[in-house]
Amino acid sequence: MNKHLTHLMLAASFMTSASFAGAAELVVIVNTANPATAMTAAQASQFFLGKSAMFTPVDLPDNSPIRAEFYKKVADKDLSEVKTIWSKLVFTGKGTAPKEMHNYAEVKKAVAANPTGIGYIERSAVDATVKVITVLP
Amino acid sequence: MNLKPFITLLAMTSAVSAASAQDTSNITISGFGTAALTRSNTSDAEFARPNQLAGVTSGAKTGVDSNLGLQVTAKMNDWLSFTGQGLVRKNVTDNFGAELAWAFAKAKVSESLNIRVGRIGLPVYMISDYRNVGYANTMLRPPVEMYAQVTLESLDGADLLYQTSLGDTNITAQVAYGVTDSENRSNFTAKFKKVSSINIVAENGPFTFRFGRVDANVTVDNSTNLNTLVSGLSKFGFVSAANAIAVNDTKASFTSVGLGVDWKSMVVQAEYGKRKSASLSIADTTSWYTMFGYRMGSFLPYFVHASATQDSPRTVAGLPTAGPLLPYTLGANGLASASPIQTSNSIGVRWDFHKSAALKLQLDRMSPENGPGVFINAKPGFKGPVTVFAAAVDFVF
Repeated sequence: MNKHLTHLMLAASFMTSASFAGAAELVVIVNTANPATAMTAAQASQFFLGKSAMFTPVDLPDNSPIRAEFYKKVADKDLSEVKTIWSKLVFTGKGTAPKEMHNYAEVKKAVAANPTGIGYIERSAVDATVKVITVLP
Repeated sequence: MNLKPFITLLAMTSAVSAASAQDTSNITISGFGTAALTRSNTSDAEFARPNQLAGVTSGAKTGVDSNLGLQVTAKMNDWLSFTGQGLVRKNVTDNFGAELAWAFAKAKVSESLNIRVGRIGLPVYMISDYRNVGYANTMLRPPVEMYAQVTLESLDGADLLYQTSLGDTNITAQVAYGVTDSENRSNFTAKFKKVSSINIVAENGPFTFRFGRVDANVTVDNSTNLNTLVSGLSKFGFVSAANAIAVNDTKASFTSVGLGVDWKSMVVQAEYGKRKSASLSIADTTSWYTMFGYRMGSFLPYFVHASATQDSPRTVAGLPTAGPLLPYTLGANGLASASPIQTSNSIGVRWDFHKSAALKLQLDRMSPENGPGVFINAKPGFKGPVTVFAAAVDFVF
Protein backbone atom coordinates (compact mmCIF):
# COMPACT_ATOMS: atom_id res chain seq x y z
CA MET A 1 0.00 0.00 0.00
CA ASN A 2 2.77 2.41 0.91
CA LYS A 3 4.43 1.72 -2.38
CA HIS A 4 1.24 2.63 -4.13
CA LEU A 5 0.99 5.88 -2.26
CA THR A 6 4.57 6.74 -3.17
CA HIS A 7 3.57 6.31 -6.80
CA LEU A 8 0.68 8.66 -6.28
CA MET A 9 2.87 11.23 -4.61
CA LEU A 10 5.42 10.95 -7.40
CA ALA A 11 2.62 11.47 -9.89
CA ALA A 12 1.66 14.53 -7.88
CA SER A 13 5.01 16.19 -8.39
CA PHE A 14 4.40 16.23 -12.13
CA MET A 15 1.06 17.87 -11.73
CA THR A 16 1.92 20.95 -9.70
CA SER A 17 1.42 23.30 -12.61
CA ALA A 18 -2.06 22.10 -13.50
CA SER A 19 -4.36 25.04 -14.04
CA PHE A 20 -7.75 25.12 -12.41
CA ALA A 21 -9.95 27.14 -14.71
CA GLY A 22 -13.68 26.71 -15.30
CA ALA A 23 -16.86 27.23 -13.34
CA ALA A 24 -18.51 23.91 -12.42
CA GLU A 25 -15.42 21.74 -12.20
CA LEU A 26 -15.63 18.29 -10.69
CA VAL A 27 -13.06 17.29 -8.12
CA VAL A 28 -12.13 14.00 -6.51
CA ILE A 29 -11.87 14.27 -2.74
CA VAL A 30 -10.26 12.11 -0.07
CA ASN A 31 -9.93 12.09 3.68
CA THR A 32 -7.67 14.85 5.05
CA ALA A 33 -5.52 12.17 6.70
CA ASN A 34 -4.80 10.56 3.32
CA PRO A 35 -1.05 11.03 2.64
CA ALA A 36 -1.56 11.19 -1.15
CA THR A 37 -1.64 14.73 -2.50
CA ALA A 38 -2.74 14.18 -6.09
CA MET A 39 -3.72 11.42 -8.46
CA THR A 40 -4.58 11.23 -12.12
CA ALA A 41 -8.15 10.75 -13.30
CA ALA A 42 -7.17 7.27 -14.46
CA GLN A 43 -5.84 6.40 -11.01
CA ALA A 44 -8.97 7.73 -9.35
CA SER A 45 -11.18 5.72 -11.72
CA GLN A 46 -9.58 2.46 -10.46
CA PHE A 47 -11.42 2.79 -7.16
CA PHE A 48 -14.75 3.73 -8.70
CA LEU A 49 -14.60 0.84 -11.17
CA GLY A 50 -13.66 -1.79 -8.60
CA LYS A 51 -10.16 -2.38 -9.96
CA SER A 52 -8.52 -1.49 -6.67
CA ALA A 53 -9.93 -1.89 -3.18
CA MET A 54 -7.30 0.33 -1.57
CA PHE A 55 -9.72 3.25 -1.21
CA THR A 56 -13.46 3.09 -0.41
CA PRO A 57 -15.48 5.06 -2.98
CA VAL A 58 -18.87 6.69 -2.45
CA ASP A 59 -21.17 7.60 -5.30
CA LEU A 60 -23.85 10.15 -6.06
CA PRO A 61 -27.41 8.97 -6.84
CA ASP A 62 -28.13 6.93 -9.94
CA ASN A 63 -30.07 9.76 -11.61
CA SER A 64 -27.54 12.50 -10.85
CA PRO A 65 -26.18 14.21 -13.98
CA ILE A 66 -22.96 14.89 -12.05
CA ARG A 67 -22.50 11.13 -11.63
CA ALA A 68 -22.85 10.60 -15.37
CA GLU A 69 -20.43 13.46 -16.04
CA PHE A 70 -17.91 12.10 -13.54
CA TYR A 71 -17.67 8.63 -15.11
CA LYS A 72 -17.56 10.12 -18.59
CA LYS A 73 -14.65 12.35 -17.60
CA VAL A 74 -12.73 9.95 -15.43
CA ALA A 75 -13.04 6.78 -17.52
CA ASP A 76 -14.97 7.70 -20.67
CA LYS A 77 -17.75 5.34 -19.63
CA ASP A 78 -21.54 5.59 -19.66
CA LEU A 79 -23.37 4.73 -16.46
CA SER A 80 -24.67 1.51 -18.01
CA GLU A 81 -21.08 0.44 -18.74
CA VAL A 82 -20.14 1.24 -15.15
CA LYS A 83 -23.11 -0.76 -13.91
CA THR A 84 -22.07 -3.70 -16.10
CA ILE A 85 -18.56 -3.58 -14.67
CA TRP A 86 -19.90 -3.59 -11.10
CA SER A 87 -22.42 -6.34 -11.80
CA LYS A 88 -19.46 -8.57 -12.70
CA LEU A 89 -17.89 -7.92 -9.30
CA VAL A 90 -21.04 -7.89 -7.19
CA PHE A 91 -22.52 -11.16 -8.46
CA THR A 92 -19.25 -13.00 -8.03
CA GLY A 93 -18.94 -11.89 -4.42
CA LYS A 94 -15.71 -10.09 -5.28
CA GLY A 95 -16.83 -6.58 -4.54
CA THR A 96 -19.59 -4.28 -3.42
CA ALA A 97 -20.63 -1.31 -5.51
CA PRO A 98 -19.94 2.14 -3.99
CA LYS A 99 -22.54 3.31 -1.51
CA GLU A 100 -24.85 5.96 -2.89
CA MET A 101 -25.00 9.26 -1.05
CA HIS A 102 -27.88 11.67 -1.57
CA ASN A 103 -25.89 14.88 -1.99
CA TYR A 104 -22.50 16.57 -1.72
CA ALA A 105 -22.87 17.07 2.04
CA GLU A 106 -23.29 13.34 2.55
CA VAL A 107 -20.37 12.59 0.24
CA LYS A 108 -18.12 14.92 2.24
CA LYS A 109 -19.34 13.46 5.51
CA ALA A 110 -18.65 9.88 4.35
CA VAL A 111 -15.18 10.77 3.04
CA ALA A 112 -14.34 12.73 6.21
CA ALA A 113 -15.45 9.79 8.37
CA ASN A 114 -13.34 7.16 6.59
CA PRO A 115 -9.53 7.39 6.30
CA THR A 116 -9.70 5.49 2.98
CA GLY A 117 -12.80 7.31 1.73
CA ILE A 118 -12.89 8.79 -1.77
CA GLY A 119 -15.67 10.70 -3.50
CA TYR A 120 -16.38 13.35 -6.12
CA ILE A 121 -18.23 16.65 -5.88
CA GLU A 122 -18.34 20.02 -7.60
CA ARG A 123 -15.36 22.17 -6.77
CA SER A 124 -17.59 24.90 -5.33
CA ALA A 125 -18.80 22.47 -2.65
CA VAL A 126 -15.30 21.72 -1.31
CA ASP A 127 -14.59 22.68 2.30
CA ALA A 128 -11.91 22.01 4.92
CA THR A 129 -13.37 18.64 5.99
CA VAL A 130 -11.99 16.97 2.84
CA LYS A 131 -8.96 17.18 0.57
CA VAL A 132 -9.05 17.70 -3.20
CA ILE A 133 -6.81 15.16 -4.91
CA THR A 134 -7.85 15.41 -8.57
CA VAL A 135 -9.39 18.19 -10.58
CA LEU A 136 -11.26 16.95 -13.61
CA PRO A 137 -11.03 19.21 -16.66
CA MET B 1 -45.28 -21.61 -15.20
CA ASN B 2 -44.40 -23.27 -11.94
CA LEU B 3 -43.73 -20.54 -9.39
CA LYS B 4 -42.47 -22.79 -6.61
CA PRO B 5 -38.72 -22.38 -7.30
CA PHE B 6 -39.10 -18.61 -7.42
CA ILE B 7 -40.89 -18.66 -4.08
CA THR B 8 -38.21 -20.97 -2.67
CA LEU B 9 -35.59 -18.49 -3.76
CA LEU B 10 -37.41 -15.58 -2.13
CA ALA B 11 -37.85 -17.62 1.04
CA MET B 12 -34.13 -18.45 1.08
CA THR B 13 -33.30 -14.78 0.79
CA SER B 14 -35.68 -13.63 3.48
CA ALA B 15 -34.51 -16.41 5.79
CA VAL B 16 -30.92 -15.26 5.47
CA SER B 17 -31.79 -11.62 5.98
CA ALA B 18 -34.08 -12.45 8.92
CA ALA B 19 -31.34 -14.54 10.52
CA SER B 20 -28.96 -11.63 10.54
CA ALA B 21 -31.51 -8.86 11.06
CA GLN B 22 -30.79 -8.58 14.75
CA ASP B 23 -27.14 -7.87 14.07
CA THR B 24 -25.90 -4.44 13.25
CA SER B 25 -24.10 -6.04 10.33
CA ASN B 26 -24.44 -4.75 6.79
CA ILE B 27 -26.83 -6.80 4.68
CA THR B 28 -26.93 -6.24 0.95
CA ILE B 29 -29.51 -7.95 -1.22
CA SER B 30 -29.06 -7.75 -4.94
CA GLY B 31 -30.43 -9.66 -7.84
CA PHE B 32 -30.21 -10.30 -11.53
CA GLY B 33 -32.32 -11.97 -14.14
CA THR B 34 -33.04 -12.58 -17.77
CA ALA B 35 -36.44 -12.93 -19.37
CA ALA B 36 -35.94 -14.48 -22.78
CA LEU B 37 -37.67 -16.16 -25.66
CA THR B 38 -35.69 -18.57 -27.81
CA ARG B 39 -36.58 -20.48 -30.97
CA SER B 40 -34.91 -22.17 -33.93
CA ASN B 41 -35.89 -22.95 -37.50
CA THR B 42 -35.92 -26.73 -37.14
CA SER B 43 -38.25 -29.31 -35.62
CA ASP B 44 -35.76 -32.14 -36.01
CA ALA B 45 -33.60 -31.37 -32.96
CA GLU B 46 -33.75 -29.19 -29.88
CA PHE B 47 -31.40 -26.35 -29.08
CA ALA B 48 -30.47 -26.22 -25.40
CA ARG B 49 -27.78 -24.74 -23.24
CA PRO B 50 -25.17 -27.21 -21.97
CA ASN B 51 -26.78 -29.64 -19.52
CA GLN B 52 -30.38 -28.64 -20.13
CA LEU B 53 -32.63 -31.67 -20.50
CA ALA B 54 -34.90 -30.15 -23.12
CA GLY B 55 -34.56 -27.27 -25.49
CA VAL B 56 -36.45 -25.37 -28.13
CA THR B 57 -37.42 -26.15 -31.70
CA SER B 58 -39.35 -23.90 -34.08
CA GLY B 59 -41.76 -22.77 -31.34
CA ALA B 60 -40.52 -19.98 -29.09
CA LYS B 61 -40.00 -20.88 -25.41
CA THR B 62 -38.71 -19.15 -22.31
CA GLY B 63 -36.75 -22.06 -20.84
CA VAL B 64 -33.37 -21.94 -22.56
CA ASP B 65 -32.13 -18.44 -21.81
CA SER B 66 -34.22 -17.24 -18.84
CA ASN B 67 -33.11 -17.16 -15.22
CA LEU B 68 -33.39 -15.29 -11.95
CA GLY B 69 -30.72 -14.92 -9.29
CA LEU B 70 -30.71 -13.40 -5.84
CA GLN B 71 -27.68 -12.69 -3.77
CA VAL B 72 -27.36 -11.81 -0.13
CA THR B 73 -24.14 -10.55 1.38
CA ALA B 74 -23.78 -10.04 5.10
CA LYS B 75 -20.74 -8.05 6.11
CA MET B 76 -20.05 -8.99 9.71
CA ASN B 77 -17.06 -6.72 10.27
CA ASP B 78 -13.99 -5.33 8.55
CA TRP B 79 -12.65 -8.73 7.60
CA LEU B 80 -15.49 -11.25 7.52
CA SER B 81 -18.47 -11.54 5.19
CA PHE B 82 -20.96 -14.19 4.10
CA THR B 83 -22.38 -14.42 0.59
CA GLY B 84 -25.15 -16.66 -0.70
CA GLN B 85 -26.54 -16.74 -4.20
CA GLY B 86 -29.65 -18.62 -5.28
CA LEU B 87 -30.39 -19.23 -8.92
CA VAL B 88 -33.59 -20.30 -10.64
CA ARG B 89 -33.24 -21.72 -14.15
CA LYS B 90 -33.70 -24.85 -16.21
CA ASN B 91 -30.71 -27.11 -15.64
CA VAL B 92 -30.57 -30.92 -15.87
CA THR B 93 -34.35 -31.16 -15.33
CA ASP B 94 -37.00 -29.71 -17.64
CA ASN B 95 -38.49 -27.54 -14.88
CA PHE B 96 -37.29 -24.25 -13.51
CA GLY B 97 -35.50 -25.28 -10.33
CA ALA B 98 -33.85 -23.35 -7.51
CA GLU B 99 -30.18 -24.03 -6.82
CA LEU B 100 -27.77 -22.73 -4.26
CA ALA B 101 -25.25 -21.38 -6.77
CA TRP B 102 -22.81 -20.43 -4.08
CA ALA B 103 -22.54 -19.81 -0.37
CA PHE B 104 -19.25 -18.87 1.17
CA ALA B 105 -17.55 -17.10 4.01
CA LYS B 106 -14.93 -14.63 2.89
CA ALA B 107 -12.14 -13.54 5.17
CA LYS B 108 -9.91 -10.63 4.31
CA VAL B 109 -6.42 -11.58 5.43
CA SER B 110 -4.74 -8.44 4.15
CA GLU B 111 -5.24 -5.64 1.65
CA SER B 112 -4.35 -8.04 -1.11
CA LEU B 113 -5.34 -11.49 0.14
CA ASN B 114 -8.80 -12.99 0.66
CA ILE B 115 -9.73 -16.53 1.64
CA ARG B 116 -13.12 -17.98 0.79
CA VAL B 117 -14.54 -21.19 2.23
CA GLY B 118 -17.76 -22.92 1.22
CA ARG B 119 -19.41 -23.30 -2.15
CA ILE B 120 -17.48 -20.99 -4.43
CA GLY B 121 -17.62 -20.29 -8.14
CA LEU B 122 -15.18 -22.40 -10.15
CA PRO B 123 -13.36 -20.18 -12.65
CA VAL B 124 -13.20 -22.62 -15.56
CA TYR B 125 -13.66 -19.84 -18.11
CA MET B 126 -13.04 -16.13 -18.38
CA ILE B 127 -16.67 -15.30 -17.65
CA SER B 128 -17.39 -18.30 -15.40
CA ASP B 129 -18.21 -16.22 -12.37
CA TYR B 130 -20.84 -14.09 -14.05
CA ARG B 131 -21.93 -16.32 -16.91
CA ASN B 132 -25.47 -16.47 -15.53
CA VAL B 133 -25.70 -12.70 -15.13
CA GLY B 134 -26.92 -11.66 -18.56
CA TYR B 135 -26.58 -7.97 -17.73
CA ALA B 136 -22.85 -8.36 -17.06
CA ASN B 137 -22.27 -9.85 -20.51
CA THR B 138 -22.31 -8.52 -24.03
CA MET B 139 -23.55 -11.72 -25.66
CA LEU B 140 -26.99 -13.14 -24.98
CA ARG B 141 -25.44 -16.44 -23.85
CA PRO B 142 -21.88 -17.76 -23.52
CA PRO B 143 -20.94 -19.53 -26.77
CA VAL B 144 -22.26 -23.07 -26.32
CA GLU B 145 -19.39 -24.62 -28.31
CA MET B 146 -16.91 -23.68 -25.60
CA TYR B 147 -19.11 -23.51 -22.52
CA ALA B 148 -20.32 -27.08 -23.11
CA GLN B 149 -16.81 -28.43 -22.52
CA VAL B 150 -16.90 -28.18 -18.73
CA THR B 151 -20.30 -27.63 -17.18
CA LEU B 152 -19.05 -27.34 -13.60
CA GLU B 153 -19.91 -23.97 -12.11
CA SER B 154 -19.00 -24.31 -8.46
CA LEU B 155 -16.77 -26.13 -6.05
CA ASP B 156 -17.22 -27.13 -2.43
CA GLY B 157 -13.91 -26.20 -0.88
CA ALA B 158 -11.78 -23.13 -0.47
CA ASP B 159 -9.88 -20.62 -2.49
CA LEU B 160 -7.28 -17.90 -2.12
CA LEU B 161 -7.74 -14.64 -3.98
CA TYR B 162 -4.63 -12.52 -4.32
CA GLN B 163 -4.70 -9.06 -5.84
CA THR B 164 -1.69 -6.95 -6.63
CA SER B 165 -0.54 -4.35 -9.08
CA LEU B 166 2.63 -4.21 -11.14
CA GLY B 167 2.88 -0.68 -12.40
CA ASP B 168 -0.37 -0.03 -14.23
CA THR B 169 -1.29 -3.70 -14.42
CA ASN B 170 -3.75 -5.14 -11.91
CA ILE B 171 -3.23 -8.83 -11.31
CA THR B 172 -5.67 -11.20 -9.68
CA ALA B 173 -4.57 -14.73 -8.92
CA GLN B 174 -6.97 -17.34 -7.63
CA VAL B 175 -6.15 -20.83 -6.44
CA ALA B 176 -8.99 -23.17 -5.50
CA TYR B 177 -9.25 -26.72 -4.20
CA GLY B 178 -12.24 -28.92 -3.42
CA VAL B 179 -14.80 -31.43 -4.63
CA THR B 180 -18.05 -31.27 -6.55
CA ASP B 181 -20.72 -33.46 -8.12
CA SER B 182 -22.36 -32.78 -11.43
CA GLU B 183 -25.73 -34.20 -12.42
CA ASN B 184 -25.72 -34.94 -16.10
CA ARG B 185 -28.75 -34.73 -18.36
CA SER B 186 -28.07 -38.33 -19.49
CA ASN B 187 -29.14 -39.40 -16.00
CA PHE B 188 -25.85 -40.00 -14.26
CA THR B 189 -23.67 -38.18 -11.78
CA ALA B 190 -20.08 -37.23 -12.42
CA LYS B 191 -18.16 -37.03 -9.16
CA PHE B 192 -15.17 -34.71 -9.22
CA LYS B 193 -12.49 -35.21 -6.59
CA LYS B 194 -9.20 -33.37 -6.06
CA VAL B 195 -10.47 -30.46 -8.09
CA SER B 196 -7.77 -27.82 -8.30
CA SER B 197 -7.97 -24.59 -10.19
CA ILE B 198 -5.63 -21.76 -11.06
CA ASN B 199 -7.00 -18.55 -12.51
CA ILE B 200 -4.79 -15.58 -13.32
CA VAL B 201 -6.21 -12.35 -14.67
CA ALA B 202 -4.09 -9.35 -15.66
CA GLU B 203 -5.80 -6.07 -16.43
CA ASN B 204 -4.07 -3.14 -18.02
CA GLY B 205 -6.19 -0.22 -19.13
CA PRO B 206 -8.59 -1.54 -21.77
CA PHE B 207 -6.92 -4.98 -21.93
CA THR B 208 -7.67 -8.09 -19.90
CA PHE B 209 -5.59 -11.25 -20.21
CA ARG B 210 -6.55 -14.48 -18.53
CA PHE B 211 -5.06 -17.91 -17.99
CA GLY B 212 -7.01 -20.72 -16.37
CA ARG B 213 -6.41 -24.35 -15.58
CA VAL B 214 -8.67 -26.85 -13.85
CA ASP B 215 -7.60 -30.39 -12.93
CA ALA B 216 -9.80 -33.08 -11.44
CA ASN B 217 -10.25 -36.79 -10.96
CA VAL B 218 -13.63 -37.84 -12.35
CA THR B 219 -15.69 -40.89 -11.50
CA VAL B 220 -18.98 -41.93 -13.09
CA ASP B 221 -20.31 -45.06 -11.40
CA ASN B 222 -24.09 -44.77 -11.82
CA SER B 223 -24.43 -44.67 -15.59
CA THR B 224 -26.25 -47.84 -16.67
CA ASN B 225 -24.99 -47.40 -20.21
CA LEU B 226 -21.35 -46.96 -19.22
CA ASN B 227 -21.45 -49.77 -16.64
CA THR B 228 -23.02 -52.22 -19.12
CA LEU B 229 -20.42 -51.40 -21.76
CA VAL B 230 -17.41 -51.56 -19.44
CA SER B 231 -18.42 -54.82 -17.76
CA GLY B 232 -19.52 -56.42 -21.06
CA LEU B 233 -16.33 -55.51 -22.92
CA SER B 234 -14.19 -56.76 -20.02
CA LYS B 235 -16.12 -60.03 -19.85
CA PHE B 236 -15.60 -60.71 -23.54
CA GLY B 237 -11.89 -60.01 -23.34
CA PHE B 238 -11.72 -56.45 -24.62
CA VAL B 239 -10.10 -55.17 -21.47
CA SER B 240 -8.10 -52.34 -23.02
CA ALA B 241 -11.20 -51.01 -24.81
CA ALA B 242 -13.13 -51.24 -21.54
CA ASN B 243 -10.40 -49.31 -19.75
CA ALA B 244 -10.33 -46.75 -22.55
CA ILE B 245 -13.96 -45.75 -22.02
CA ALA B 246 -14.21 -46.24 -18.24
CA VAL B 247 -14.48 -43.13 -16.10
CA ASN B 248 -13.08 -44.21 -12.77
CA ASP B 249 -10.85 -41.76 -10.94
CA THR B 250 -9.95 -40.52 -14.41
CA LYS B 251 -7.62 -37.53 -14.65
CA ALA B 252 -9.13 -34.70 -16.64
CA SER B 253 -8.10 -31.12 -17.24
CA PHE B 254 -9.21 -27.94 -18.97
CA THR B 255 -6.67 -25.26 -19.88
CA SER B 256 -7.75 -21.99 -21.36
CA VAL B 257 -6.63 -18.49 -22.20
CA GLY B 258 -8.78 -15.42 -22.68
CA LEU B 259 -8.52 -11.88 -23.97
CA GLY B 260 -10.80 -8.95 -23.32
CA VAL B 261 -10.52 -5.52 -24.92
CA ASP B 262 -12.70 -2.53 -24.13
CA TRP B 263 -11.00 0.27 -26.00
CA LYS B 264 -12.90 3.38 -27.02
CA SER B 265 -15.88 2.00 -28.95
CA MET B 266 -14.34 -1.40 -29.57
CA VAL B 267 -15.20 -4.45 -27.52
CA VAL B 268 -13.40 -7.76 -28.07
CA GLN B 269 -13.76 -10.97 -26.12
CA ALA B 270 -11.98 -14.17 -27.06
CA GLU B 271 -11.19 -17.49 -25.42
CA TYR B 272 -9.39 -20.66 -26.42
CA GLY B 273 -9.49 -23.89 -24.45
CA LYS B 274 -8.19 -27.46 -24.48
CA ARG B 275 -9.94 -30.28 -22.68
CA LYS B 276 -7.95 -33.43 -21.97
CA SER B 277 -8.74 -36.65 -20.16
CA ALA B 278 -7.46 -40.19 -19.82
CA SER B 279 -10.83 -41.62 -20.94
CA LEU B 280 -12.25 -41.68 -24.47
CA SER B 281 -15.68 -41.05 -22.91
CA ILE B 282 -14.49 -37.56 -21.98
CA ALA B 283 -13.09 -36.60 -25.36
CA ASP B 284 -10.05 -34.39 -25.81
CA THR B 285 -11.34 -31.23 -27.42
CA THR B 286 -10.33 -27.81 -28.69
CA SER B 287 -12.83 -24.99 -28.41
CA TRP B 288 -12.67 -21.25 -28.96
CA TYR B 289 -14.64 -18.17 -29.81
CA THR B 290 -14.02 -14.57 -30.74
CA MET B 291 -16.46 -11.74 -30.32
CA PHE B 292 -16.15 -8.29 -31.87
CA GLY B 293 -18.45 -5.50 -30.77
CA TYR B 294 -18.69 -1.82 -31.50
CA ARG B 295 -20.35 0.57 -29.08
CA MET B 296 -22.63 3.20 -30.61
CA GLY B 297 -24.23 5.16 -27.81
CA SER B 298 -26.50 2.79 -25.93
CA PHE B 299 -26.32 0.20 -28.73
CA LEU B 300 -23.65 -2.47 -28.92
CA PRO B 301 -23.86 -4.62 -32.04
CA TYR B 302 -21.58 -7.67 -32.03
CA PHE B 303 -20.43 -10.61 -34.10
CA VAL B 304 -19.26 -13.96 -32.71
CA HIS B 305 -17.55 -16.94 -34.27
CA ALA B 306 -17.28 -20.09 -32.16
CA SER B 307 -15.92 -23.57 -32.76
CA ALA B 308 -15.60 -26.93 -31.03
CA THR B 309 -13.54 -29.77 -32.46
CA GLN B 310 -12.40 -33.12 -31.12
CA ASP B 311 -8.76 -34.17 -30.76
CA SER B 312 -9.21 -37.76 -29.55
CA PRO B 313 -10.51 -40.58 -31.80
CA ARG B 314 -14.29 -40.84 -32.14
CA THR B 315 -14.10 -44.63 -32.32
CA VAL B 316 -12.63 -47.13 -29.86
CA ALA B 317 -9.81 -49.18 -31.37
CA GLY B 318 -9.67 -52.97 -31.40
CA LEU B 319 -13.38 -53.75 -31.29
CA PRO B 320 -15.26 -56.12 -33.66
CA THR B 321 -17.03 -54.37 -36.53
CA ALA B 322 -19.51 -57.21 -37.06
CA GLY B 323 -21.00 -60.13 -35.19
CA PRO B 324 -22.87 -60.50 -31.91
CA LEU B 325 -20.68 -57.99 -30.06
CA LEU B 326 -21.44 -55.17 -32.52
CA PRO B 327 -23.82 -53.42 -30.09
CA TYR B 328 -20.90 -53.05 -27.65
CA THR B 329 -18.76 -51.54 -30.38
CA LEU B 330 -21.50 -49.10 -31.31
CA GLY B 331 -22.09 -48.25 -27.67
CA ALA B 332 -18.40 -47.60 -27.02
CA ASN B 333 -18.08 -45.53 -30.18
CA GLY B 334 -21.17 -43.61 -29.12
CA LEU B 335 -19.39 -42.55 -25.94
CA ALA B 336 -16.20 -41.66 -27.81
CA SER B 337 -18.18 -39.48 -30.21
CA ALA B 338 -20.60 -37.86 -27.77
CA SER B 339 -18.72 -34.57 -27.71
CA PRO B 340 -20.24 -31.96 -30.02
CA ILE B 341 -18.35 -30.84 -33.12
CA GLN B 342 -19.74 -27.58 -34.34
CA THR B 343 -19.03 -24.10 -35.58
CA SER B 344 -21.31 -21.11 -35.39
CA ASN B 345 -21.57 -17.50 -36.49
CA SER B 346 -23.74 -15.15 -34.51
CA ILE B 347 -24.81 -11.57 -34.81
CA GLY B 348 -26.52 -9.67 -32.06
CA VAL B 349 -27.12 -6.34 -30.45
CA ARG B 350 -27.25 -5.18 -26.86
CA TRP B 351 -29.32 -2.08 -26.18
CA ASP B 352 -29.03 -0.43 -22.77
CA PHE B 353 -32.52 1.03 -22.86
CA HIS B 354 -32.73 1.54 -19.10
CA LYS B 355 -30.17 2.27 -16.39
CA SER B 356 -30.55 -1.26 -14.96
CA ALA B 357 -31.79 -3.25 -17.91
CA ALA B 358 -30.64 -4.20 -21.38
CA LEU B 359 -32.45 -5.69 -24.35
CA LYS B 360 -30.58 -8.22 -26.47
CA LEU B 361 -31.35 -9.82 -29.78
CA GLN B 362 -29.14 -12.60 -31.09
CA LEU B 363 -29.22 -14.71 -34.22
CA ASP B 364 -26.99 -17.78 -34.38
CA ARG B 365 -26.23 -19.86 -37.43
CA MET B 366 -24.98 -23.19 -36.07
CA SER B 367 -23.35 -25.85 -38.21
CA PRO B 368 -23.05 -29.23 -36.49
CA GLU B 369 -20.63 -31.73 -38.04
CA ASN B 370 -20.38 -35.51 -37.68
CA GLY B 371 -23.51 -35.66 -35.57
CA PRO B 372 -26.00 -33.35 -33.94
CA GLY B 373 -23.45 -30.89 -32.49
CA VAL B 374 -24.84 -29.22 -29.38
CA PHE B 375 -28.40 -30.11 -30.38
CA ILE B 376 -30.27 -32.72 -28.37
CA ASN B 377 -33.09 -35.21 -28.94
CA ALA B 378 -32.22 -35.16 -32.64
CA LYS B 379 -34.44 -37.12 -35.01
CA PRO B 380 -32.71 -39.52 -37.42
CA GLY B 381 -31.52 -37.59 -40.45
CA PHE B 382 -31.21 -34.29 -38.58
CA LYS B 383 -28.83 -32.01 -40.40
CA GLY B 384 -27.66 -28.47 -39.92
CA PRO B 385 -27.10 -25.68 -40.28
CA VAL B 386 -29.71 -24.42 -37.86
CA THR B 387 -30.69 -20.84 -37.16
CA VAL B 388 -31.39 -20.00 -33.51
CA PHE B 389 -32.99 -16.72 -32.56
CA ALA B 390 -33.40 -15.26 -29.09
CA ALA B 391 -34.66 -12.03 -27.58
CA ALA B 392 -33.89 -11.25 -23.97
CA VAL B 393 -34.21 -8.55 -21.35
CA ASP B 394 -31.43 -8.64 -18.75
CA PHE B 395 -31.87 -6.74 -15.53
CA VAL B 396 -30.14 -6.18 -12.21
CA PHE B 397 -31.58 -4.85 -8.99
